[in-house]
Amino acid sequence: MSLQIKICCRSALAGLIALVALPAIAEDLQMWERSGGNASMVDALVAAWNAKNPDRTIKLTYIPHTEMVPKIAQAIATGDVPDLMGMDLIYGPQFEAAGQLVDITDKIKDWPELKTASPGHVAVSTYDGKLYGVPLYADVSALFYNKDLFRKAGLDPEKPPTSLAEIRGYADKITALGGDVKGYFLPGNCAGCNIFTVGPLMWASGATIEPKDANEEPLSGDGVKEVLQWARDMIKAGNVHEDARAETGETFHLRFGSGKIGMMGTGNFNITLAKEQNPSMDFGIALLPGVKGGEVSSFAGGDIVTIPNGSKRVDDAVDFMKFLLSDETQVEVYAKMLNMTTRGDMAENKYFQAEPKVQDVAKAIAVAKTPYTLKFFELINSPQGPWLQMLQRAYYEDTDLDTIISDTKAQMKAIAAE
Amino acid sequence: MHTGASKYIGLLYVTPALAFVLVFTAYPLGQMVWMSLHNWSLIAPKKYVGAGNFIKAWNDPQFWTSLEFTLKYTALITPILMISGYLIALLTAENRPLRQITRSIVFAPVVIGLGASSLLWYWLFSYDFGLINRVLIDVGVIAKPIVWFGADADRSMWAVVVSIVWKVLGFGTILFVAAIHAVPGEIGEAAMVDGASYWQRVRLITLPLTAKTILLVTLVSVIGSLLAFDQFYIMTAGQPRNLTSTSVFLIYLNSFPYRKLGYGAALSLILAGVILVCTVLQMLTSRRSHA
Repeated sequence: MSLQIKICCRSALAGLIALVALPAIAEDLQMWERSGGNASMVDALVAAWNAKNPDRTIKLTYIPHTEMVPKIAQAIATGDVPDLMGMDLIYGPQFEAAGQLVDITDKIKDWPELKTASPGHVAVSTYDGKLYGVPLYADVSALFYNKDLFRKAGLDPEKPPTSLAEIRGYADKITALGGDVKGYFLPGNCAGCNIFTVGPLMWASGATIEPKDANEEPLSGDGVKEVLQWARDMIKAGNVHEDARAETGETFHLRFGSGKIGMMGTGNFNITLAKEQNPSMDFGIALLPGVKGGEVSSFAGGDIVTIPNGSKRVDDAVDFMKFLLSDETQVEVYAKMLNMTTRGDMAENKYFQAEPKVQDVAKAIAVAKTPYTLKFFELINSPQGPWLQMLQRAYYEDTDLDTIISDTKAQMKAIAAE
Repeated sequence: MHTGASKYIGLLYVTPALAFVLVFTAYPLGQMVWMSLHNWSLIAPKKYVGAGNFIKAWNDPQFWTSLEFTLKYTALITPILMISGYLIALLTAENRPLRQITRSIVFAPVVIGLGASSLLWYWLFSYDFGLINRVLIDVGVIAKPIVWFGADADRSMWAVVVSIVWKVLGFGTILFVAAIHAVPGEIGEAAMVDGASYWQRVRLITLPLTAKTILLVTLVSVIGSLLAFDQFYIMTAGQPRNLTSTSVFLIYLNSFPYRKLGYGAALSLILAGVILVCTVLQMLTSRRSHA
């Protein structure tokens, strides 16, 4: 064989190998994440990973929030799964219990970063002692209050309310300012917003809400009735805008920034949003209180990232998880964007120090709870579920609260028993 | 006498239609029946429950609430669509330019997708930004905006009824106009010579001679209303407290967000049965009135 032919053959072979190998090298990791969550945060995380890992970039696809669980279930049923799945943390247990996620305990259990990771996220990522995911981002709820309206109503802007009775008293004074200003906000048609902001009022009042399983009593403790009575009275007193009744969650995050609400339970995401919406508004952040003064609570929400069974890139996916928990990502991506760090020990950083409001809201992490149930959507988060039905009846009807709670308990028990 | 070969040729002719029905109707229906006998969440193994899902539906208060609401919605919207559609058809049946333009305007919303029109009306009824609240306040009908969706079930339903009447009225109107055009002109002229008034001619000639079209439009309207989903999914999402949750919405809720595929399939079969009964009843009533 002549040299020219040999060179030609080798070139052709090299070209063929390159053609075959190229798609494998260039293939992205597929990641699904729910829309309606903290998209800007997830975009930034993926962009930071892609910048550092050009040979194994992540292709991010957003799935509508309400379609996320069925979409994942369908993907699992057909075997056409992504390599990474970001999901609302409350849905973690049901996928873990169904054995649909990759057990990564042996790969990550010795990571030092995991020791300080958000306990709520780690709890819902754990099933039967095994780990299935890590925090993707964290949201906590707190009481935001408008200092400008506090001053106008003759209230001390440095003394936020510390009990439900105080909220009521302050709200009455703020509503009395008149115009389109109201003292408080209760979303009337949004199950998720209510578990995020009204749930902590119940927890802080010593109540429990969802049953962990069929054997557990839902809605236990006097706090449930006390909070419902308080909310009913607030609405009857005219302390909540009438259109709050139709709030489905679509405009919930924009309410506080309107400057027309004195106090409102909302999340850390509202710090940046309210500033963008209403740059001149002076506002403060406190913890959501209970019936008694000094008792506080919060909802630790957000997303976890998991690996579905069938992922072909488990090691790369685990590396991404490690990247999420790294010091550099915690500070230079999460904190820089004024989002909560997903590790408690990273909350002390230069970006948070420059923004006291983030430090205020970060205090909620220590008292925050994350519900752990296999049927969170049906029990709580569904707009058609018993939780929202109970709240709507309590907020807008005159039915006896004991009857409402009793009906809801029965519905929740039936769902938990299925 | 048919030969063996000609029999096979006949079978060959119907094969495409038969295959279509088998693949797209019979197989999915069989699959649905099979699913209705199981509990299946997609992420966990299926479990055979026999008639358990049907018994569960019987004992589920939400099933009855949804069915009652669906029947109420159907009973309300069908006469509105039929009577309004027929009256507009009578008014615009003559082929004169202005009437033809009116027919086109009434028909125009039919070509818009139901999802798009529902979204349009959702915003028109918006508390803060909706044109309807604005207009009602400006003309002095109301003093402050109304919460159309999510507060009161009846108010929500009427808002949906308005949107659907706007959307589908033209469909029935066009069919009625075609049916009225098909009535021989001589009959009306003869009645006029005999001194029949306009309404007598409508009642005694036009209505009986367009009865088959009326039945067809009623059937389509009733079936469409019993299957109502998009408009309620977009505008009310079943709120408040699932009181505006239609039967199909309940099926969707169980089959997809709740991933109870078996229960969703059982509810679908029950609804199919209800529609079948309604259709047969309507056809029997119509035949009896013709007899």
